[in-house]
Formats: sequence, structure tokens, C-alpha cells
Amino acid sequence: MRIYLPIARATFMVGLVYRFGFLFTIIGNVVYLGVAYYLWKSIYHYSEVIRGLTFNETFLYVGVGSAVFVLLKTYADWFIHYEIREGNIANYLTKPVDYQIYNLFANLGSLLVSLLAISIPTAIMLGLVFRVKVAFGIGLVLFPIGLFLAFLISFSIDYFIGLMGFYSESVWGLSITKEIIVTVLSGALIPLQFFPDAIQRVLYWLPFQAIYHTPLMMLTRPNQGLNVFLPMMAIQLVWAVLLFIAARLFYNQAIKVLRIAGG
Amino acid sequence: MSLIHIDNLSKDFRILNRREGLGGAFRDLFSGDYRTIEAVAGISFDIQPGEIVGYIGPNGAGKSTTIKMMTGILKPSGGIIEVNGRAPYDNRIRQAQIMGVVFGQRTQLWWDLPVIESFKILREIYKVDQKTFDRHMNMFNDLVGLGALYSQQVRTLSLGQRMLCDITASFLHNPQVVFLDEPTIGLDISIKAKIRSVIKELNSERNTTIILTTHDLGDVEALCQRIIIIDKGKILYDGDIKKVNALFGAYRTLKLQINNFNEKTIQTLTDKLCEQFGTENGITVAETEEFWTDVTIDQARTPLSDVLNFVMSNFKVDDVRILEISMENVVRKVYDGALG
Amino acid sequence: MRSLAEYLRLYLIIETQYIKARMQYRADFIISSIGMFFSSLATLGVFWVILGTVPNLAGWSLMEMIFIYAFYMIAISPMQILFDHAWNIRFHIQQGTFLKYYFRPLNMMFYYMSEMFDLKGLTQLAVGIALLVYASIQLHLDWTLIRVILLLITLFSAALVQISIIVAASCAAFWVTNSYPVLGLAWKLREFSPYPMSIFDGAFRFAFTYVIPIGFVAFYPSQIFLRPEQVSPLTYFSPLIGVGLFAITYWIWTKGVNSYTGTGS
Repeated sequence: MRIYLPIARATFMVGLVYRFGFLFTIIGNVVYLGVAYYLWKSIYHYSEVIRGLTFNETFLYVGVGSAVFVLLKTYADWFIHYEIREGNIANYLTKPVDYQIYNLFANLGSLLVSLLAISIPTAIMLGLVFRVKVAFGIGLVLFPIGLFLAFLISFSIDYFIGLMGFYSESVWGLSITKEIIVTVLSGALIPLQFFPDAIQRVLYWLPFQAIYHTPLMMLTRPNQGLNVFLPMMAIQLVWAVLLFIAARLFYNQAIKVLRIAGG
Repeated sequence: MSLIHIDNLSKDFRILNRREGLGGAFRDLFSGDYRTIEAVAGISFDIQPGEIVGYIGPNGAGKSTTIKMMTGILKPSGGIIEVNGRAPYDNRIRQAQIMGVVFGQRTQLWWDLPVIESFKILREIYKVDQKTFDRHMNMFNDLVGLGALYSQQVRTLSLGQRMLCDITASFLHNPQVVFLDEPTIGLDISIKAKIRSVIKELNSERNTTIILTTHDLGDVEALCQRIIIIDKGKILYDGDIKKVNALFGAYRTLKLQINNFNEKTIQTLTDKLCEQFGTENGITVAETEEFWTDVTIDQARTPLSDVLNFVMSNFKVDDVRILEISMENVVRKVYDGALG
Repeated sequence: MRSLAEYLRLYLIIETQYIKARMQYRADFIISSIGMFFSSLATLGVFWVILGTVPNLAGWSLMEMIFIYAFYMIAISPMQILFDHAWNIRFHIQQGTFLKYYFRPLNMMFYYMSEMFDLKGLTQLAVGIALLVYASIQLHLDWTLIRVILLLITLFSAALVQISIIVAASCAAFWVTNSYPVLGLAWKLREFSPYPMSIFDGAFRFAFTYVIPIGFVAFYPSQIFLRPEQVSPLTYFSPLIGVGLFAITYWIWTKGVNSYTGTGS
């Protein structure tokens, strides 16, 4: 653990040092919130409730969703692609560090920067400017756990994709495709309730909604009760563990390819 | 008229002062504290067509800054700079037509394309007529066997092959001046020799002026008639290489790992060397890294082999390395007035 | 100095070679194209799903919105295909490899952008065109020769608007180390281009019409074809705005290029 904490600290500091980027991330999110507000307001012009959600709920979902989206955006795959391209992979492999854990902590540092840059302004914007109402409930308590599990899932997927780079020179296409699939199927763009029922049922079991939809539900509808949240978290946990292990196993395979092909 | 004319040229930069630590990083978010650095502080020289000039100095000396001003990337803060009669900064595209540039680290060719396609594209970009193109490609083929590489993608070339391609490509359009930055970096001895002879050949073919920036003294010795040494933004030496060559060539550093090294070893060694070779022996002893002793020898006064034999006979030596003098030391000596 | 025709010819030569080389990466090409295809469908799907829940959005029917969305898809394609290299400016600058673009007797933006040609963007273009045709048929639009020419002009201008916004945002890399958020914001904003500007009021509508004019990427130009009788004078400025915006972006680029000092000393 001692070895990895400084790594997280390093990426955290990197995020701060670039002050302009930090500022702009905040501005970007604020603007996005504003636009989303107008859009959904006009959609809700015609009825109070659409697909079971009120304007307040949907906007809260989208607003918080945009913040969580930034939070859970791990660049694990791009980082690995970059290191491969630069030929730096050998550096990491020769050190006595677990590559997967190393990547995890590096991303955690970025996560903390994002937390600062995004969450606080978003919370202020939603609460004070747009006067969105937040209900209270068990979901709020479960949220940090849900978020962390979501982070693990997102990270494992990205890390897995990143490892693909060990096999093939050019996997940009794969990264971008993954991004789209995850974004759309995870409920990051719109609440999953808006999808046709049949599709929703399928999506419930996939890991993607465990990334965004579950934690978002905890924040936006926290009073749904444990009997709703616990199964969702169970699915999260299962996927988190599965994907983390799968990525680990994949690493063992991928590393052989790298060793044969040369650094 | 000189090809390159530089008079009292200077260049300043503003750098943000960063503070340390986590708290410092937070405070830097809001600060606006800058300091000014004089990268180039008033330099002057003229370069004539056909010269091969070595432009050397330690890292941070102002070399790249000068080159960037010569190539039109940076605007000078003061003074005059003219290349082929024009200020480079105001005439970038026009100047690019008469210039060639090669970076040791990165290629200027198209990474994914076969070598020949890069050359063909360059022909289009520089508007080289077919006859000249063919003549040059034949010359390149004779010189470096370029033909064998035509269909290979640049990314698959070895470093040495890539450098040869980059260098020949920079001469394709008959430039008046070619800037070579670390052209032999990371290459083995035989490729280095090849590259040096190619550069010499291309220079004599077309009387192309060559400005060479490098840390490799072998490059300098092999190619340059004239060198300019810069440090801390000022010119320390501008003249014939022979004078400086005597300085380079004569010095060697003997790195020793002496068994049972203790705090008295340096003094003992110095004393014993004085005993053996006299007090004006031109030898200095110092500890540079842990357990390594540097014995710097001025061979004009005491031959390396004598010193080595003596040390090996009188001390138990676990490991030995022999180095040429480093660029830093050369410049330091020049700065200390060694060239007078 | 090179003429436009010479630049076009040079571009053709470079890109032909580039595409040939990229085609060698079969797997990546196929995956990217398929990925792009599904991503286009997916974002279209989300758009459709949202709009499907309401009878109309600020007075615009579903099919009209689909038309605008198709216009949007076509308009953002040139940026995707021709200016994709803009995303990498910050990497080149940080690593010092941006220097090489100064050394050729070529316009730097041309040289820089010509290094990448995003084939998968063609997929998006194809989907956009197909969708436009579909929507036109559904809306029973009347395509005279003049209207077709107008369509091409407005598409061209809209493309320029999108290109200008993204390239200008990417220029932040010249001055600021962590410039990605700027590009990220510009990119996120484009999502809102196909929505009617009338849903915004006050500051936002002003911003999206006059400051970061995403309104001109799809919405305002589409009005010419969908509601010709309601067209505001603004819309006819569309071609000028595209060119004007690009001029501003080019000015920003030039400033950036001149201020870049490179790493090292």
C-alpha cells in the first residue's frame, strides 16, 4: 500500500498543477448543466411526468449524471495505449509493482481531482441555482459505496481495453467504440427509464448500467429502499469482482505476448 | 554576403515560479508570479556558404533557442538575425524553401508511409523538378543504398536507417543550409561513421552550409572546421576547431572503483601521483559518485597509460572506466579561460 | 506562395498515401467503422427516444427534428474527417514534436491537419446523408435545383462553423498545459446543436447564436428548408458566419503558433 499511495498523490497533484484545465473543467460542467436544464425543461413542457419521472428527477439525474460521468471517466485505456506507443511499458514491468494496482491508484488520483473540480460546483449549481430538490433516503448513504464499485467496473473495462494494445498496434477504434457503447447503455446520457421496456430488462443485467445508472439512482431517488438498492449493488459487486479478475487474467496472457514480441 | 548574419541577438522568456508541495500546488492555482530568463544574451557571428559549423554547449546554454531563431520559429527579443538576407521569423514559408532541418530524436518523414512516398511528397512540397529529383535520389542510393528502403514504412526502419533517410531527405530540395540536431544520437559506431561521411559528402556536393548541434564530440571532430561554443546565452568561443581539439583530445577521465575506499583515499592518491609524476602533472582527483574516483588527466603533460599503470600497481582497483572529457568540462575549461 | 489548387492537389497526394497506409490496419479500420456506425445510430437513437416522449419540441415535429439531426450529422463530418488531428495538438506540443511543422514551406495548419484523415467519419457522413434523404421524403420536401445548391452552401458553412469551434478550442494547447477540458467542452456542446434554439432563452440563446454559434451548425440553416416562411434574417447570414468564424479561428491558430516556444532551451 505504501508504494501505491504516492502514485495516487502524484496524479492528484498533476491535476491541480494545471490550473487552467482545472478551472475549465468546472466551467464546462456548469455550462453543460445549463444547457441540459433548458433542454429538459422544454421536453417536460407538455407533461409533468414522462416515463415515470418528473422534471425534477430527470434533471437531477442528468445533472448529477454529468458530474458522475466525469468522475467515472477513467483514462486507463488511453494511458496504456500511450505508454505502449512511447515504448515505456518496459519501465513498469521491470519494477516490483503490480501493473493493475498501479494503474488503479494512478486513476484514483485523477478521480480525486475530478471530485474537487466537479462535484462541489455541480452540487452548488443544482442546489442553489437550479433549485433542484433532493430527497433523502438510504440511497445517499449507499452512494459512496456504489460510486466506488462503479469506479472499479469502469476502471476494469478500460484497463482491459488498454491491455488489448499489447496485441495490436492500433486499438483506438476499440476504445472509441467502447466509450460509445458504455455511454449509451449505461444510462449516462439519459435515464434508462426512457428506453423501451424490453431493452431495459436486458440492460439491467449488463455491467454498463452498474457504472452510471445504479449510483445515479442512489442520488436521485434515494428513498427507494434497500430492497431496490441491495440487488443493484449486488450486481455491481459481482461485475466489479468478475471484471477485475478477468482483467487480471487477461494481463497474464497479454504480458506473454508482449514479452515474445519485444518491448 | 554571409549566409547567416547574427548581430547582438538576444531572447528572453517568462517562466511561472512554481511552489512546492500540495499546498504550493493549490496556491499556484491563483498566483501570477513570473521570472524572466535570458536564454540568449547578445550573441554575434557570421556563417559563410559551405561551412560546416559545430554549435555546441551544455544543456540550457541557449543552443536550441538560437537554432529556433535561425529557423524562424522564435522571434528575437533584440538584435539582428538574417538568413540568406532575410529575417527568418518574418518569412517562414519562404525561408523553409532554402532550409533543411533534421532532428535526431524525431523523424520529419511520414511515419506510416513507405520511404519513397515520403520523398515523393517532399518533391511536391518543395517543387523539385523531376530531373533534380531523379539525380538526387540516385545520389542518395549511391551514398546510402536508399533504394533498398524505398518500400519500407518509416516506422519499421531501424534508428540508423531512419536517420539516413531523414538526412538525405533534408538535402532533397537543394537547401542552402541544413540544421542537424543530434544526428547520431543513440547510434552505434559504424552507423555514426557512415552518417558522418554522408554529411561530409552532401556538404561537398552542393556546398550546402551545415549547422550541427550535438553533444557528441566525435561528430564535431569528424565534421566541423569551425565551432561555436555557447553557454548561459553567451558565446564563449568561435573559431577553428584545432585549438579546441587540442583541449578535447588531450583530456581523459579515468574512473576508478578503488577497493577499501575511505575518506583518506583521495588525498593519498593525489599525494602519490605527485610523488610519481611531479606536482605539475596535470592530474586532478575527485570523488564524483559514491565509491567512484575520477582521475582527470591532461595527456599533454602525463600519458594516460602511465597513470593507469601506476594506479593499478599501487592500489587495489575493482573497476575501471576510461572516458573522454565531457562537454560540460570542456565548456567549463573554456569558461575558465583555457583558450585564452 | 501556393495557390488553392496546388494545395488541393498536394492534399490529394498526401491523403491517398495516408489512406493506403491506414488500410493495412484492417482490424482497426473495420472495428472503427463499425463502432462509428453504431455510435451514430446510438446517439441518433437517444435523440429519437427523447423526442419520442413528447408530441413536439418547442413546436418542432419529430420528423423535422430528424431532418435537423441529419443536417447536423452531415455538417459535423468534415470536421471529423479532415480536422481530426486537432485533438492531438496538445500531445505534440507537450512532447516537442510540434516543431517539425514549422520547417516546411507550407501553411502550418494545412500541413498539420493533412497528417490525419479519419476514414471512420465517412460512416457518419453516410448515415447522415441516408437520414436526410429519409426525413426529406417523410416531410415531402420539395427539392428544386436552387434549393439543392442552397443546401450545399449551408452545409459547407455549417461545417466551417463546427470546424472553427473545435479547432479554436484545440488551440488552447498552445498556451495552457492541461487544455483538454476546453476541447472537451467544445465537443460536448456540439451535442446540443440539433436542438431548436427556441428552447433556450436569454444568455444561453445569445451565447449559442453569437458567441459559440452551435446554432449555426444545424438549427438555423435547417430552417431554410423546413420553415422557409419563418426564416429570420439571421439564417441567410449562415454562409458568412462560417467563413468569418473560420477566419477568427485561423487568427487564433496563428497567434498560438507564433507564441509557441518549444520545450528545452
